[in-house]
Amino acid sequence: MPIAQLASSEAKGETSKTFVFNNEGHTLGNALRCIISSYEDVQFCGYTVPHPAESKMHFRIQMHKGRAVDALKRGLQDLVKMCDHTIETFENEVTTFKNENHIAT
Amino acid sequence: MDQVNDENPRIILGEHKITRNLPTTETILDQTFNIKSFKKSLRIVIVRYTDTPLEMEFDIIGMHPFLANTFRRLMLSDVPSMAVEKVHVYNNTSIIQDEVLCHRLGLIPLRADPRMFDYRSNDSEGTEQDTLEFELKIKCTWNKDENKDSSRVDDMYKNNNVYSKHIKWLPIGNQSETYKPADVGPIDDDILIAKMRPGHELDLKLIAVKGIGRDHAKFSPVATAFYRLLPDIKLTREVEGEAAERLKKCFSPGVIGLRHKEGRTVAVVENSRYDSSSRNIFRHDDLKDAVIMTKIQDHFIFSIESVGAMPPDIIFTEAVKILRNKCVSLLEELEQV
Amino acid sequence: MSSDSKETAKTPMVYICGECHSENEIRPRDPIRCRECGYRIMYKKRTKRLIVFDAR
Repeated sequence: MPIAQLASSEAKGETSKTFVFNNEGHTLGNALRCIISSYEDVQFCGYTVPHPAESKMHFRIQMHKGRAVDALKRGLQDLVKMCDHTIETFENEVTTFKNENHIAT
Repeated sequence: MDQVNDENPRIILGEHKITRNLPTTETILDQTFNIKSFKKSLRIVIVRYTDTPLEMEFDIIGMHPFLANTFRRLMLSDVPSMAVEKVHVYNNTSIIQDEVLCHRLGLIPLRADPRMFDYRSNDSEGTEQDTLEFELKIKCTWNKDENKDSSRVDDMYKNNNVYSKHIKWLPIGNQSETYKPADVGPIDDDILIAKMRPGHELDLKLIAVKGIGRDHAKFSPVATAFYRLLPDIKLTREVEGEAAERLKKCFSPGVIGLRHKEGRTVAVVENSRYDSSSRNIFRHDDLKDAVIMTKIQDHFIFSIESVGAMPPDIIFTEAVKILRNKCVSLLEELEQV
Repeated sequence: MSSDSKETAKTPMVYICGECHSENEIRPRDPIRCRECGYRIMYKKRTKRLIVFDAR
């Protein structure tokens, strides 16, 4: 099971954090990185898979202000919303296409 | 260049460099993410859906490139399917080695719907919920019925070719009530597994489980799943005569058409969608200034070819659901910290 | 290990002739030679035990 855990706590406190994701890789890492780096208060956001044989992903967030955990939560929530909307639109399109072209489901 | 400076975010494929156009308003590529603008911009158009092969093509317009890539990766390596994982070899006197034979058996696509099964934990025995069992028992013999003169192998021997149709399903528990043999067995019945001669024999038990493509490619539910950006080709000036013929040949068939007007032959762009974006045009010095090749950066043409266990539209929705569930479970864990 | 090897030493092993495919029982220190045709290349029979492979 993927576990988000805190790797290092530093003097900066809550604004900068590295999270370690177990059993995750580039699939989730890049999606999260792209969405979080578009937020206003984020100074830096990046991810790395330190070793390809180890299924671990390190995820770094540095904030101008605010907590890094909040940015991560917001990123995950936004991804959920994107997925929900994509499924909804896709399924609607597929059912109308199948009806129009008389394709049995 | 005004033809390409519209509101679509484009990349322009030049001879020596790739440039971007400058839309006057912010596009989905460079704005801060918010769900409202995502909902406003996202459009999905189904283009093609065929049964044989199980294939579909659709366009996703107004989506972030990273999401398109995430969905592609998920379809290839995170959507589960069933495949043979363990083989019990009781006897194998054919010339194909045990480990090679078993590897071949693992790669045979199974029709079983992975959504009906659970993942099997490493140490468990295997139940009707997470395991499928098959049997491959076959013996090659001399064929005594056919005429003796024939020297064709198919006349001389019986069972000299072992095909995937010879794999027999052994239901566990109440599986025989839930499924029919055709619902779980090999998708194709003409996959050649081994070649044998009289006296050779196979006696195998195959154990199939649910898995994901990240673990092994045999678990991947798609034959191919890819996306590409929509190509858009513009002509900046009129090209006629012999030059028009050459221009046509520089692109994929159907991209450039020839129109006849007032006794002249003029090249026009008919359908740039299926262009393979080859750079042949840059070999013609007199033509390369007549064409601007661009790609629309938020218009993805997805093509999914299913192996056969699940239809391609289900594979896509399953992929999106997997990402969603990953995020939801991570959020739950963050709440506990 | 030692008891196992002693046990197998007493019982004859069945080998298959490389020339005439007949089955030969050969004891330790017996000459490696087919009783039927005298051929000297012999093959061991496949084990009757179940072998489990990963289909990978």
